[in-house]
Amino acid sequence: MQTNQDLSTQFRHGVLPQTTSDEFSRQEFVKSLKFHLASKVSLGNQDAFEARAKPAFTKTTGAEPETYADIRRAMSDDPYYRFWSAMQRNSQEMMWKSVQIPVERQLPELIAKAGEAGGKGTLKLNPELEIPRYHRGVDIHCMPGGYHTEFTADDVANGAVYDSAVYIYAMGRMGPLNSDIGDTTIAWIKENHPDFKPRRILDMGCSVGHSTLSYCDAWPEAEIFAIDVGAPVLRYAHARAESMGKSVHFSQQNAEATDFEDGTFDLIVSHILVHETSNAAMRNIMRECNRLLTPGGLAVHAETPPYRDLPAYDAFMLDWDTRNNNEPYWGASHELVTADIAAECGFDPAKSFEAYQPSAFEATERRTKVFQGGDFGGGGAWWLWGVQK
Amino acid sequence: MAETITLQKKARGERPQYFADPAIDKALSITLALAGEVAVLRDRIDTIERLAEAGQSPTRAAVDAYVPDAAVRAARDAWRDSYLDTVLRIIHQEREELEQRAADTKPYAAVIDEVEAGG
Repeated sequence: MQTNQDLSTQFRHGVLPQTTSDEFSRQEFVKSLKFHLASKVSLGNQDAFEARAKPAFTKTTGAEPETYADIRRAMSDDPYYRFWSAMQRNSQEMMWKSVQIPVERQLPELIAKAGEAGGKGTLKLNPELEIPRYHRGVDIHCMPGGYHTEFTADDVANGAVYDSAVYIYAMGRMGPLNSDIGDTTIAWIKENHPDFKPRRILDMGCSVGHSTLSYCDAWPEAEIFAIDVGAPVLRYAHARAESMGKSVHFSQQNAEATDFEDGTFDLIVSHILVHETSNAAMRNIMRECNRLLTPGGLAVHAETPPYRDLPAYDAFMLDWDTRNNNEPYWGASHELVTADIAAECGFDPAKSFEAYQPSAFEATERRTKVFQGGDFGGGGAWWLWGVQK
Repeated sequence: MAETITLQKKARGERPQYFADPAIDKALSITLALAGEVAVLRDRIDTIERLAEAGQSPTRAAVDAYVPDAAVRAARDAWRDSYLDTVLRIIHQEREELEQRAADTKPYAAVIDEVEAGG
């Protein structure tokens, strides 16, 4: 019997899809395949680079590859890299398939459960909301339908799909609640702003609330708000939060332009949101943060490290998602300079920050210690950037 | 019985082609999916054996409802890793060869520096 105290399985909250033993085994295979690729196959790319691609590039161009873009050019036709990439892409597609099977089977029950969710928090949907172009163009990280597509009335399917898949994607290393990014962000805020007592907190791009719920426990006196553009993930997030007794006000909104009043929040956070937007949208989001924050309030965004902080080879591997995993803004978002963005968006650049915070969830034995395609938590730390108003 | 709601199968966006012949991309996808289904079957046999060892009848309902505990999951993780060593043999062979070639490209002085630094 699985128990909720078991840190090596996903927490079984009230709307987590159930799995038959075969369905669970199929998901476990994907997790094993991803771990095998990360720990035993991906590393060979560096050998292929040193032994084959680098000498060939140097011979052709007369100079050694220096930047991550040089390394990409050198490696793009390498047969080992191409085969690994093909397997890595397949592992991602197999992951979605493995979680769609049980969700498809029990979707009417999941919708019914979500409809009965209690009323500690609230859920406000806006069917008129325009889904931003950067979510309509391609389905981000290859999730069929993205966060917003509805396959039936009152749909929660892609909330359930996303919740199950993130656990497999992270190979369990974001904890039983997939909450590592929120927990890590909170740890940084508490260490660096020990007297900070936010009264109202906004989580932007909350999806199913993986990180959101950590804020309920971190500041129990605060009111927690969370927004996303996708109705299915919000319905699921609300039901998940209610089943765990957490009070969150979820609403369907675009973080670029919300309906909250000026100066509503002391703390605005996002967790792996920025890389799923665009250069224009992330600036709109920062301007919106400026409008919504109280003086002294904090905006904190959690992501993987900017390429400038990584050796060129590691940046090249981290950049794999841009071209192979339907993450069109991944690459450009990893070039952002916080102080510049702060200044552009009306903040004092002197009050901007960039920091690394060690992952809050202790699972060191599962870490591969390197950032590599499809393994965003591998480094054991999250990159936090933002600004104080 | 309620009507089945079908989810979208393909993610919007052009799928990268990794090999010169798109049929190779498809064949690899099918091979990996089959490797997964073999692992699912192997877990099912393992479940039947464990139920029988515990004196329970391995009926379909009992097998479908079986939830492996942490020790069984750890044993299956280990099995899958060595299973993938076997299935992906050709990849591991190539990796070993590349590793040797990469080591050979290092100047001997770099090896001295490495061992002196404690590596």
